[in-house]
Amino acid sequence: MARSRPLYALAVLALVLAGCSAPGSDKKDSASDTGPIKIALVDAQSGQLSSLGAWELKGAKLAVTEWNAQGGINGRQIQLDVFDDQGDPTTGTNLARKIQSEGYLAMIGTAESAVTIAMAPTLKTAEIPNITSGQSPGLVAVGSEFLFLNGPTSTTYDETLAKYIVDQQGIKSIAMITNNGSYGKGEHDAFTKALAKRSVTPVADQVVTTDQKDFSAALTSIRQKNPKLIFLGAEEVESGLIVKQARDLGITAPFAGGAPQGTPVFLNTAGAKNVEGTIVSSPYLSNDISPASKKFADAYKAAYNEDAELHGAKAYDGTQIMLTALKTSNVATGKALADAIRATKYQGLLGGFAYDNTGVGIFATSIGKIENGKLVAATG
Amino acid sequence: MQVFFQTIIGGVSLGAIYALVALGFSLVYRTMGLVNFAHGNVVTVGAYLASTFYLTAKLPFAVAMVVAIVVTAAIGLVIERVLRPLENRDFDLMLIGTIGFGIVLDALVIMIWGATGRAVPSPVQTAPLSLFGLRIRTYDLVVLAIAAVATVLLVLFLSRTKRGAAMQAVAMDHEAATAVGIHVGRSNAIAFMIGAGLAALAGGLVGPLLYVNPALGGTLGIKGFAAAILGGFGSIPGAIVGGLAIGILDSFTAGHFQGYSELVTFLVFTVIIMIRPTGVFGERTVNRA
Repeated sequence: MARSRPLYALAVLALVLAGCSAPGSDKKDSASDTGPIKIALVDAQSGQLSSLGAWELKGAKLAVTEWNAQGGINGRQIQLDVFDDQGDPTTGTNLARKIQSEGYLAMIGTAESAVTIAMAPTLKTAEIPNITSGQSPGLVAVGSEFLFLNGPTSTTYDETLAKYIVDQQGIKSIAMITNNGSYGKGEHDAFTKALAKRSVTPVADQVVTTDQKDFSAALTSIRQKNPKLIFLGAEEVESGLIVKQARDLGITAPFAGGAPQGTPVFLNTAGAKNVEGTIVSSPYLSNDISPASKKFADAYKAAYNEDAELHGAKAYDGTQIMLTALKTSNVATGKALADAIRATKYQGLLGGFAYDNTGVGIFATSIGKIENGKLVAATG
Repeated sequence: MQVFFQTIIGGVSLGAIYALVALGFSLVYRTMGLVNFAHGNVVTVGAYLASTFYLTAKLPFAVAMVVAIVVTAAIGLVIERVLRPLENRDFDLMLIGTIGFGIVLDALVIMIWGATGRAVPSPVQTAPLSLFGLRIRTYDLVVLAIAAVATVLLVLFLSRTKRGAAMQAVAMDHEAATAVGIHVGRSNAIAFMIGAGLAALAGGLVGPLLYVNPALGGTLGIKGFAAAILGGFGSIPGAIVGGLAIGILDSFTAGHFQGYSELVTFLVFTVIIMIRPTGVFGERTVNRA
């Protein structure tokens, strides 16, 4: 007892200190009227999902650079700091606490729904608004008023896709191959639902793991069903490997899917010849869609010497919305900033954003097709 | 039936890669009694070097592979040289040293090549062979042939050359080997060098099958390690059998258990190891740790 008393006293002291100092210092750090406005970008900069993180960073950085070049917000520069979540939810939750204690006003990222969902409770308690690039319906299910998406959810992607494939093209013999990660699971459920609405049952429904490398078994059973089209719900690299192995196995049916299937990583992994005819549901088909996207693509090319794509565009839109909200709210924090984001109407690269209560701001995608190694808008 | 055979074919090609990774683990273990935890990262380095020489320096694939193997083997020598002072002092520290080297290599790869990764087009452009409705990739046959040749060469080196015999002697009893004038340090260095070379061979060969990124070696390393244990850690034929077994097992669980395949693969692995702790070919003659 005697030994534990000083410890106990220390613990109480620590609690008291934490109780009065933490919120105070938080406020002082973030809401002070001078110094840079601190925004955290959390994304995978290493690991299998790092290409997503790299694109996100490029898009977000471009938006911040533009604002800073025009004098920032209220004369204050914007400081974008990068944190590497390694695509790992546990690392993500640690980072959520870190950006809270270091007094960041807002967060951009992550590109991985699972990581974002893991971080959401901490960010909600800390009242840090977060604009994510994830698209899993699970993000909406979290029900945090501080969580916003910079694109449509899987439901929108897959509903548009099902409409094109089943209603317009009349294809009913469809096989599915999805992974059991957060993204793949979301795609699986959303697409199955969209098919069920049209009373179509997939002829095969294969689930793979996120780091599987050999898909012979799944693909051979799909081949035996001889489908007209294969729906693909997996991230860029895995999707590419699946398509490559499918073609090696002699499967000629075209693939269809969401955002990952429109990326250069998917195309390079599978090989340009193998992805010909892939149907893609995406809110950002190419850089030539509008004057705004052309301007963005030129700036992107000038800054990074590579072609812009969907994920960079999404992050750019999300960051623009965040910065616009910071400006209209006069650099508010917490709930006031979240409300300002919700009130922001923004015409972006992906289309018109108007947030509803679920944190989703955009509800449309377009259908594209890979032709001659390039993603173009589908005709008919 | 078609699914059954096609699944085996798919498993064998990655299994050959696991076998090469397992050989590297086993060779270092039988010589030094050390588990080289940096081995997976060395595979990544080898894969990146091979893809760089192939894609950026535009060397023919075979030449790129040889250069990558030589450079990676040199890296293996460096690792051994740095860890050598620990060899007779504290073995646990040496083990941790290899983990440290793994982290350093991982970071170096990201610094040099970036985190994004790259796709390597297959060097064999011929269409897959069609046999009784089964499809066999020509590149898979190349991988299998090279893996077989590498194994035969390794076995010949260990059994027919003086240096190889010396390594075997060190593996059996390093004090007795020292007493008869065998340079233990050099023996260890050669083990590390060949191990790293095999890692580069595995990494370079797997590049066109998969996607070369910093996380590549992690997955291959774990499967390769499991393969080495399954076959009997330290055993050369064990590494081959273990690698192919893990590859085929993986392929089948993927077909039957879909999303839970990883879980089932390692459950089966655990049960086998519980029944036979020394693996298929293990005799536990090598135990210096």
